[in-house]
Amino acid sequence: MDFIVTLVNGLSLGGIYAMIALGYTMVYGIAKMLNFAHGDVIMVGGYTVLVFLAVNPVLAIVMSVIFCLLLGIVIEKVAYKPLRGASPLAVLITAIGVSYLLQSLALIIFGAAPEFVIIANLGTLDLGPISIKYSTIITLVATVIVMTVLSLFVKYSKIGRAMVAVSEDRDAARLMGININMIITITFAIGSALAALAGVCSLLNVPTITPTYGAMPGIKAFTAAVIGGIGSIPGAMVGGILLGIVECLCKAVPEIAPYTIAIEFAILIVILLVKPTGILGKKRREKV
Amino acid sequence: MKFTKVLALVLACVMCLGVLASCGGGDVNYAKDNTKIKIGASGPLTGGAAIYGIAVKNSAALAIKEINAAGGIFGDGSMFFDELVMTDDKHDPTLVAANYASLYEGGVQITLGTVTTGPALEFKDLSHDDNVFVLTPSASGDAVPEYDNAFQMCFADSNQGTASAQYFNENYQGKKVGAFYKSDDEYSTGILAKFEEALDASFGTVTKAAFVEGDSDFSQHVQNLKECDIIFMPIYYTPASQFMTAGIGTIKNNAIYYGCDGLDGVDSVKNFDINTIPQEVSYLSHFNSGATDGAAKTYINAYREEYGADAPLNQFGAAAYDCVYAIRDALVAAKAAGKTFEVNTSASDFCDILKDIFTSDSFVFHGVTGAPEADGKSNISWNSTGYVNKEAVKYIVKEANEAN
Repeated sequence: MDFIVTLVNGLSLGGIYAMIALGYTMVYGIAKMLNFAHGDVIMVGGYTVLVFLAVNPVLAIVMSVIFCLLLGIVIEKVAYKPLRGASPLAVLITAIGVSYLLQSLALIIFGAAPEFVIIANLGTLDLGPISIKYSTIITLVATVIVMTVLSLFVKYSKIGRAMVAVSEDRDAARLMGININMIITITFAIGSALAALAGVCSLLNVPTITPTYGAMPGIKAFTAAVIGGIGSIPGAMVGGILLGIVECLCKAVPEIAPYTIAIEFAILIVILLVKPTGILGKKRREKV
Repeated sequence: MKFTKVLALVLACVMCLGVLASCGGGDVNYAKDNTKIKIGASGPLTGGAAIYGIAVKNSAALAIKEINAAGGIFGDGSMFFDELVMTDDKHDPTLVAANYASLYEGGVQITLGTVTTGPALEFKDLSHDDNVFVLTPSASGDAVPEYDNAFQMCFADSNQGTASAQYFNENYQGKKVGAFYKSDDEYSTGILAKFEEALDASFGTVTKAAFVEGDSDFSQHVQNLKECDIIFMPIYYTPASQFMTAGIGTIKNNAIYYGCDGLDGVDSVKNFDINTIPQEVSYLSHFNSGATDGAAKTYINAYREEYGADAPLNQFGAAAYDCVYAIRDALVAAKAAGKTFEVNTSASDFCDILKDIFTSDSFVFHGVTGAPEADGKSNISWNSTGYVNKEAVKYIVKEANEAN
């Protein structure tokens, strides 16, 4: 029975990783850059919740998503757009710089001490031998909804199909009349909004926030995106959920628990050795 | 071409000078221009452990202010302490070397070492090399006072682990014991090892759940420990508050959370209401931040008056307050013993003087940490290894909810 609880916890944690990983993978797929400030958007979302929590919990969640969405657009316009066409290394360093900027701003505004952000006391669902927290269930449901909506959006909406086209072949897409800059901005907006949602779900489970709150989930989600095949949306989902389940299974065994993070990254190494493009990554032939 | 050659020559000369300078540099007295005795320390002023460093900084500065206001070190206006020099190490050992250099080369003569154990393990070698006196308020690692220049005001980890186990042996026989600990932290693993060693065999195996830096989702740890009656938590307060919150509804309501000095401050985490935790929360300590009488209360009042109601107040700060007074008392004792020193005596000479006093059998300091005697103050002394001798107090942060 404990195993089922562990599995559900793993699915829920994996869902959070997957939501964050989607942001990494979409931005990579479309703008061909690694947005290392993505993890810190989660942190900004968390603090936004904290600020508006006194007014109303639902408003706090909505504001968090809206604020992060705008933040994603601003970051893209201010920091990354001027570097379009610059070397990938310059963009990468800029992303790390933005990450530090966000952390430092949070440090100045909110201070270093951890703060509790209790959105709601949800309690536990008792099913006889197993008991599962409602926050876990909500996270799971939210993940499923987000994944479904996003898949449908990408597949059937005009903008979604334009995104796929840009990621397939940017030049061809431009020739077909797609506004590349707008697509990239929309990608950042969607990714950041997802990060805010992931932040809210994670605050339901762990109600504390610090300026470095997004760093670890960010790196784990990046790992998940790479495991699943960076650039691939289903890949991010698979990678995130795989990583979440592995993490919870490792933590369930006291002897292995101290090495959880090492094991997670070891899986990344193994997968990259066996399948360098990730589980669902597409093999691309170099065109000569 | 010519320019490069000249440059090379100049650089070579500079290098030679450097070598020469360092030949004679062993006895450089960076404090030779001091007009007051300078005390320095390194601790986390930002980051997750910041409330410890800030409390230490505030309290040491308060003690220095009080001593100076009362006529200085000897009370006769002849010698004063300079303002405290505190550098921020963010509880990160890699920042310690630079901090140490800025303290030492900035003329600091006597140090309070570092606030936390990880950085202290770096600080001990550096201070030993230069023979600089260290009296740490709160770096409780066993290895911190490894060399003869270092002393602790807090209990060493092994003593905390052992003392906790003894308390369990006497009070909690027959209960199922669990441990929630941080496996990549010397403080946590050190205490837990000694705890398990000293725990009676009748308790059986301790159920353990480990986490590492960066972990914050503790639902699985809660799952592992849900059968336990007592959960030993040799960790700092932030993960403890997260863990206890995650445990609501799963951990038994009549279970007891029992920690060490790292739990001090758990009730001060912003927006965290400890009353939402149904279980008893307690820890082994040497200072009661809720003291209502004695020297501890006097210190608390003075601290609140100086820094206001929101400033972090904990046993780390109390210990730092004691450290400054202990150094003052030791200097007074040194003068009485006929040792001579000036405001610009070098750090190394001060170290020789102070370690003689601290290890002498007759030196007993009366402070605000440790169980108080009849006069409201505790008796504190040091053995030759640098470990402190004083009596512990058990501090209950929050009683179990009555409904249980």
